[in-house]
Amino acid sequence: MFYYRVSRWAGNALIYALLIAICIFMLFPFLWMIITSLKYADEIFHIPMILIPAHPDLHAYTYIIKQYHIFNITWNTFMIAIIGTGLSLFFCSLGGYAFAKFKFPGQGPLFSFLLGTMVIPAAVTLVPVFLIMRDLKWIDTILPLVIPGAANAFGIFFMRQYISTISDDIMDAARMDGAGEFTIYWRIIVPIIAPGLTSLGLIFFMGGWNAILGPLIYLKTQSHFTLPLIIRSMTSTVGRSMFDNQMAASVISIIPLLIIFLIFQRRLMEGIAAGAVKG
Amino acid sequence: MSRKFLVQFMTILLLSVMLLSACGPGAAPTSATQPPANNATVAPVTQPPAASISGKVTVWCWSASWTNSIVKSGALDAFLAEYPNVQVDYVETAPQDVYQKLPIAISAGTGAPDWACVESSHLAQLVALGGLTDLTAQVTPYIDKMNAYKWPDAMLDGKYYAMPWDSGPVVMYYRRDVFKAAGLASDPDSVSAIVATWDDYLNVCKTILEKTGDQCFASNKANNDARLYEIMLWQQGLGYTNAEGQVTVDSPENVATLEELKKFWDAGLLSDQSAWTDGWYAEFSAGGTAPVATVGPGTPEPAAVKPVATLVEAAWMGVFLKSFVAPGTEGLWGVAQMPAMKAGQPRSSNDGGSNVVIPEQSQNKAAAWALAEWLFGRVDSQVAIFKANDIFPSLEAAYADPVFTEPDPYFDNQNVRSAYVDAVKIIPTGYVYGPNYALMNRYVQTAIAKVATGAASVQAALTEAADAIRNDTGLP
Amino acid sequence: MLAVPRSEKRIAKKLSAKPSRGLWARIVKARWPYLFIAPFYISFLVFGLYSTLFSFYLSFVEWKGLGPMKFVGLKNFAMLFKDKVFIQSMENGFLLFFMYVPLMTFLALVLAVILNSKRVRGFKLFRTIIFMPYIMNIAAAGFSFRLLLDQKYGPVNVFLGNFFHISPIPWLEDIWWARVSLCLLIIWVWLGYNMVIMLAGLQTIPGELTEAAMIDGANPAQSFFYVTIPLMRPVILFSVVLSLMGSFALFNEVFILTVPAGGPMNATITPFVDIFNQAFGNNRFGYASAMAYAYFVILFVLTLIQVRYFGQRVD
Repeated sequence: MFYYRVSRWAGNALIYALLIAICIFMLFPFLWMIITSLKYADEIFHIPMILIPAHPDLHAYTYIIKQYHIFNITWNTFMIAIIGTGLSLFFCSLGGYAFAKFKFPGQGPLFSFLLGTMVIPAAVTLVPVFLIMRDLKWIDTILPLVIPGAANAFGIFFMRQYISTISDDIMDAARMDGAGEFTIYWRIIVPIIAPGLTSLGLIFFMGGWNAILGPLIYLKTQSHFTLPLIIRSMTSTVGRSMFDNQMAASVISIIPLLIIFLIFQRRLMEGIAAGAVKG
Repeated sequence: MSRKFLVQFMTILLLSVMLLSACGPGAAPTSATQPPANNATVAPVTQPPAASISGKVTVWCWSASWTNSIVKSGALDAFLAEYPNVQVDYVETAPQDVYQKLPIAISAGTGAPDWACVESSHLAQLVALGGLTDLTAQVTPYIDKMNAYKWPDAMLDGKYYAMPWDSGPVVMYYRRDVFKAAGLASDPDSVSAIVATWDDYLNVCKTILEKTGDQCFASNKANNDARLYEIMLWQQGLGYTNAEGQVTVDSPENVATLEELKKFWDAGLLSDQSAWTDGWYAEFSAGGTAPVATVGPGTPEPAAVKPVATLVEAAWMGVFLKSFVAPGTEGLWGVAQMPAMKAGQPRSSNDGGSNVVIPEQSQNKAAAWALAEWLFGRVDSQVAIFKANDIFPSLEAAYADPVFTEPDPYFDNQNVRSAYVDAVKIIPTGYVYGPNYALMNRYVQTAIAKVATGAASVQAALTEAADAIRNDTGLP
Repeated sequence: MLAVPRSEKRIAKKLSAKPSRGLWARIVKARWPYLFIAPFYISFLVFGLYSTLFSFYLSFVEWKGLGPMKFVGLKNFAMLFKDKVFIQSMENGFLLFFMYVPLMTFLALVLAVILNSKRVRGFKLFRTIIFMPYIMNIAAAGFSFRLLLDQKYGPVNVFLGNFFHISPIPWLEDIWWARVSLCLLIIWVWLGYNMVIMLAGLQTIPGELTEAAMIDGANPAQSFFYVTIPLMRPVILFSVVLSLMGSFALFNEVFILTVPAGGPMNATITPFVDIFNQAFGNNRFGYASAMAYAYFVILFVLTLIQVRYFGQRVD
């Protein structure tokens, strides 16, 4: 019994050590980001290493607000994320609802086909989609970033799973009352699936906010950039490196998502788990 | 079907379709998108009066070239005063961004600027891509007034598509204090004499390492940018191709050149800093005073970094040394002739240099050309720009200006400018730049990295690069 | 005869109509769901099907994106066989997969089991912290990593040097260390995500099974290996298959962390990065399309093999 207690205690200690080590690993880059954003340029690459700057201040932040119009950029990022999310939630929930709650000819094959489309890697359509966008003159707008992904297979799949758990009675009752199909969707289904919409919406929003490939290809003028893009652009200038500014921009890019995440983390993780486990 | 359904159906369908095919006619990409007509001329050769030229010229350039040179020199203001109906809209664009965005804008048919700075290294590729205005008529009066070696990159099928701006004659920058500490002569003429060839240079650096522990120059092993190697090729009249267009990356001469560079690594003479990083700047700044703006109050003194003794680079490096690379080391530098590969060969090369192009999309070509001509075709502008930021003019008439005989305090009052002029006059024709430069440079970068890190022998690495280049470009 | 009002006639007609057994009739009846799913198929038609077919066509031409296309038949594919960078990128996909997937999956599972076991306090806090890196955009994360892993000035090397007297590791400048660095970044970003998936999977395992094993005398480690893992096979498989496809498609992490993108001497280049470079760096749209197709085929075959192989063992 004593052995068991000691070994259990030792086991616990080991487990805590592991967890804390992992947590340090996860947090340290973020911490370093914040520290660097408060340093002056020469303190960043300094021997011996400066852990805490002598006079931390917000000069990097004021610089990027003034020179890079970082609030504009944040707004751009937000618009792209929210519009993309809104469109995607609308079309995916509509599609998921149709697959979940209706029976129609070809339903099975159509759904299998939908799942099958997820096999095609983005690399294959990269160039042609770019060419389409070029001919539509949509380059340097947000359209290429929100339209192609609006009705996407993953979202429809997710929503279908989610909506199929709702009982049919409410819809039947509404139909008997003469409500149109779209009204049923909009007035009845949507409120019911709000939690699922939140989860999926969080996944989409995060994807839109953090996206790099799309903005890299399609956004050309700096005033249209998103936060990840502006962060990246701060390395290409020949001249004194701007790691303090870059880290300040990085901090700014993370904070909104961090807040959203801390508030909604349960929903987000539910969404991820649901997408995976039912897959 | 009920009317109500039909209406709703059509609405939703219409919405969906509209989302996918807004406004533009012809949503299908056409395979034969015609490149802009290459024989549209910009303006009649006879100059129209300045006041009649109007428009907004959108400029893509980078701050070192534009803000710190053109604007600072006052040449831009003089232009705007002379052309009151022209506005200039500057968009800060780093060189790499220009080379990525400009082709995309050109192929997208929209979004290109009216005026873009393009380094000579990437000029031929842009010209070959198409989409630039044919400037033959405009530049004809300047063909024999600019450094001759600048023109081939601007040409395609006998037509000219760019206006040269500056050149990059290569010299050797060296630290007088380091040479002195090593017991060597530190005045420019003596230094030029003792580094007459690359082997001499090798021995001088060995002496410096022995006596002071300082290294010869910086050249990162794993992420080498290949520029020094290209300088060494160019000074011998070599390059990645030859005059017949064959790939020469693995030719015996190219291999021998890389072997020479490898000797420096083998002797432990090279610092491993990547160019344009803080560690790199620190090496140049060592022994000087730190700039105030980048250091916070109360920052502890950094540990001593050993200075690097030399730097073989083009004249435009002087600008950067003074401004942000090593501003605190004023008076400690000198300029000597770069070593020749073999005795008797040219002691000069080219690295960089830039030009300006006017995309065919531009709606303000006349204004854009007027700006280009004003800045780069006039001696007074070029001299002013040179005075502002050491950007070495390609316009040869400018060399007659007295500024090229003035001493420069940063270089301990040496007349470095005449050194640059002497260097530019003996630049041989090189075959480094060309339409496939970016691709070739990337493969050779990898090859040099393999050689420097010991992963491959020089012959093997260069042969691998050459084969890949032949594969990709189809050149023999 | 009394005039039957029109509406009555209509109702009567509907009531007496034969049951619509015809296919067309059923389609018409189901017009709403068709309408609802239409946007996906329209979108797919344009951005999926058309693009895939056009990409296939492009892989047989040489084209700079501007000007005429030049039909070259199978030349692009022939060049692919000799393209050392492409071959290297495929190798890297495998290498990276084996370098980070086993470790990350195992770690995710272990962490999930630990947190799920109620043996530690602060479940929510740990889960939050471990998951947090996933929400950071890769630009911010990647550049922070670049600073951390700087050979001369980065805190990691300073720490290793001061406490363990290890000479500075060239994290981003050596072929293998660059791969390690990339794996570190990937694990940092994705560990929490995989852990959450594992946690969800664990919830489906009834607690009685592990308890029963313990009563039978198994210690925690044994119950982990012989009970938990077998039951979690589907979830683990899902995670691993995703990661395999992911390791070839890695773009963001590689593009941000490594300079030049693709790692020192192509140590970290992945097929996606190579395709991107060829398309948007070299403007070789035809060649990039051929490369994308080759990559598609190889990946497809790989996934089939994986699912076949692991799928059988699940049963």
